[in-house]
Amino acid sequence: MKPMLSTDLNVAETTAEKAKIEVKNLNFYYGQSKALKDINLSLPERSVTAFIGPSGCGKSTLLRVLNRIYELYPKQSAEGQVLLDGKNILDRSQDLNLLRTKIGMVFQKPTPFPMSIYENIAFGVRLYEKISKAEMDNRVEQALKRAALWNEVKDKLNASGQSLSGGQQQRLCIARTVAVKPEVILLDEPASALDPLSTAKIEELIDELQADYTIVIVTHNMQQAARVSRQTAFMYLGELIEFDRTEKIFTSPREKRTQDYITGRFG
Amino acid sequence: MSTAASLHRSRKRKNAVMMALCTIAAGIGLVWLALILGALLYKGLSGLSLSVFTQMTPPPGDAGGLLNAIYGSIVMTVIGIVVGTPIGVLAGTYMAEYGRFSRLTTVVRFINDILLSAPSIIVGLFVYELMVRPMGHFSAIAGAVALSILVIPVVVRTTEDMLNLVPNALREAGTAIGAPRWVVIRSVAYRAALSGIVTGILLAIARISGETAPLLFTALNNQFWSSNLNAPMASLPVTIFQFALSPYEEWQQLAWTGALIITLTVLGLSIFARSLTGRREDR
Amino acid sequence: MTAVSEAVTSSAIRTREATVRRFALTDTIFRTVTRLSAILVLVLLGGVAVSLIAGSWEALSKFGFSFLTTESWNPVTENFGALAPIYGTVVTSAIAILIAVPIGIGIAVFLTELCPRPLRRPIGIAVELLAGIPSIIYGIWGLFVFAPFLQTTVQPFIINLFHGIPGLASLFAGPPYGIGLLTSSLILAIMVLPFITSITKDVFDTVPAVLKESAYGIGCTTWEVTRRVVIPYTRVGIMGGVMLGLGRALGETMAVTFVIGNAHRISASLFAPGTTISATIANEFTEADGELYTSSLVALGLILFIITFIILALARYMLLRIDSRTGA
Repeated sequence: MKPMLSTDLNVAETTAEKAKIEVKNLNFYYGQSKALKDINLSLPERSVTAFIGPSGCGKSTLLRVLNRIYELYPKQSAEGQVLLDGKNILDRSQDLNLLRTKIGMVFQKPTPFPMSIYENIAFGVRLYEKISKAEMDNRVEQALKRAALWNEVKDKLNASGQSLSGGQQQRLCIARTVAVKPEVILLDEPASALDPLSTAKIEELIDELQADYTIVIVTHNMQQAARVSRQTAFMYLGELIEFDRTEKIFTSPREKRTQDYITGRFG
Repeated sequence: MSTAASLHRSRKRKNAVMMALCTIAAGIGLVWLALILGALLYKGLSGLSLSVFTQMTPPPGDAGGLLNAIYGSIVMTVIGIVVGTPIGVLAGTYMAEYGRFSRLTTVVRFINDILLSAPSIIVGLFVYELMVRPMGHFSAIAGAVALSILVIPVVVRTTEDMLNLVPNALREAGTAIGAPRWVVIRSVAYRAALSGIVTGILLAIARISGETAPLLFTALNNQFWSSNLNAPMASLPVTIFQFALSPYEEWQQLAWTGALIITLTVLGLSIFARSLTGRREDR
Repeated sequence: MTAVSEAVTSSAIRTREATVRRFALTDTIFRTVTRLSAILVLVLLGGVAVSLIAGSWEALSKFGFSFLTTESWNPVTENFGALAPIYGTVVTSAIAILIAVPIGIGIAVFLTELCPRPLRRPIGIAVELLAGIPSIIYGIWGLFVFAPFLQTTVQPFIINLFHGIPGLASLFAGPPYGIGLLTSSLILAIMVLPFITSITKDVFDTVPAVLKESAYGIGCTTWEVTRRVVIPYTRVGIMGGVMLGLGRALGETMAVTFVIGNAHRISASLFAPGTTISATIANEFTEADGELYTSSLVALGLILFIITFIILALARYMLLRIDSRTGA
């Protein structure tokens, strides 16, 4: 399913591939407690990166720094640098809404808005673009096709988004994210609330989307990380333990702790 | 052995007595409700006719209707809701959204809960000092303002509660797509909480449509038809108050009929409001 | 590939940035408006306090502290004291609570432990609907149905029953007017019953099932579980509900005004007419001529405001404590 790249490059060690996001010396705090400790990594453009690790290791926290969604809550703060195309998004002058149009996010539980399927997608598009009805129809159709949902919903675009099944809802959320044309898509355990069949569909979708988007996925499911990602970051207790090509992480990790986790000795 | 058995028996007996008392208590509660509603139906229905809704309040000793009082109640209730609801919804929005974690919200919530059960006659006095005294006369608008002050805490409370029930994941999803906070609130949070907020408004209408005390010295009363907001205006509850305490039989009958109309309205609104949230829970 | 390059065209970026600026402005405005609305709630309460103090200033500066201790209420000589209404308010509310609390708790126990499941919701809803009935309905019912009933049957019986017994005889001394302190207390008890019941029921529901089950597990009867587990666990919440009911009773106007008799005197007998703060204001305010008379009535309002504020604040504080326990 996953196209193996012929170039046998080690992403952690080479900068041959252009980095879309670079995280430098990142620390993150929930109030007084430090949740991320000096994280450094760079995510290559148009490929899938997985964050894995036991729960509470900070993988979701790291993901939530990338679009600064944590700013919704008080007493959460990040220091260090997160460069998107070389520009620090943690900078105070960064407009958050603009940032989030560039970096989309899909959540663990499907979160369809309380509106129709059509409106769920048009909602985000309409925020920043003034386009005609015909163009919008086209945009909605393209987004739904992109999320492999079009055939299932094309006859009931006016039905409530909440009337869909869990797997369909999650693909609707992906369609919604794709429709605003982001550059990066963050996926926070996108399949953990879904059945195996829906999970397979989502994974297939992720694989197709990496042709156009830089994708970061948080997952507690190691097989999933192995299936969908090109590089994997293993985190533990707020630290980045190891970051390498996925194949390498799962076959010959450098770190003992990575190996213990991969082989199921803890977590 | 026999003491253990007798102890067991006495515990059993005590339990039976206490449980019987609890059942009797519930019976008493239901009997009161039945007695009040029964009397209301019995006395009110006999005076219920079309003329109640088509004729003005009569002079002492004459037959008539309650038209001007019903009209006045509707006018002041509508203004009270129109003025109070936006303020209540906006304040509740601040508490559940922008100010969810702020100290101001904690203080406002505490004060609002006190306003929610504060004596309504105090609100009447407040509006008297605020409007009637400076204006020099009683007026319908003062009555409407008093009612709106009673609306605000009800709407604040339900709006905040209902917005707090909207899952944070939905807000995060709206934010993650690049929507600013006000769009997330308007298009996502309000939509998700809509039926709950409407319930709050309906309960507020039910609350103020039976309120008498805050109108006594704000809108006062008016024997005649008046649509002038700057003049005293009749209302159903104040008319009931005046007529019930009068020695005239026709007036007392109209008071009972008016009381029946108010009760049916309030119960209808409350049941409708509950059915709205009931459906919400089912979903 | 195409999707990305399209979004990055410079004109698209320009429009996006303009949109973002507009969004930020609207957001600031909306946040400010909602914040001001929230502050308005505080201003309202502050406004009530200030206006009551201002309105009662004349009376308070003339009578001073003796306003609280004087029984006389004489519009002709313009000599006003709040003792009788305060007495009436406190006595009627206290009796109402004494009657309503055991019954309210009993109903709550019935609803949570005894009632057949299909009946629970309807009865629970009926109790809450009862709480929504306007107080004037209770007043008119009290005046035309309840008071005559008490006057012709219950009161003569009690007067005869306690005749000659020291203490009780004067507490229940005739003649039977029907209206009076006791009638008001009973009406108030009926009014606050739904509040106390529904809050008690709600706090009973917060008792963890495992706690009750383990008590049943060691052989406790339903009453013992209620008495030893449920009520101790929810004591603070019940107190909050009782205080809330008390707050309602203290400030209740219309139900009392109909049946209290509006007599400015303190009688030993509970059958005698009396008055409460709110009934006095409701009955006399529009007819009060003269600044001092009006000001004295507002001063009564201020006293009521202070009493209910303290009681309601205590109630909220207690309910908050039980909320935070279940919330955590």
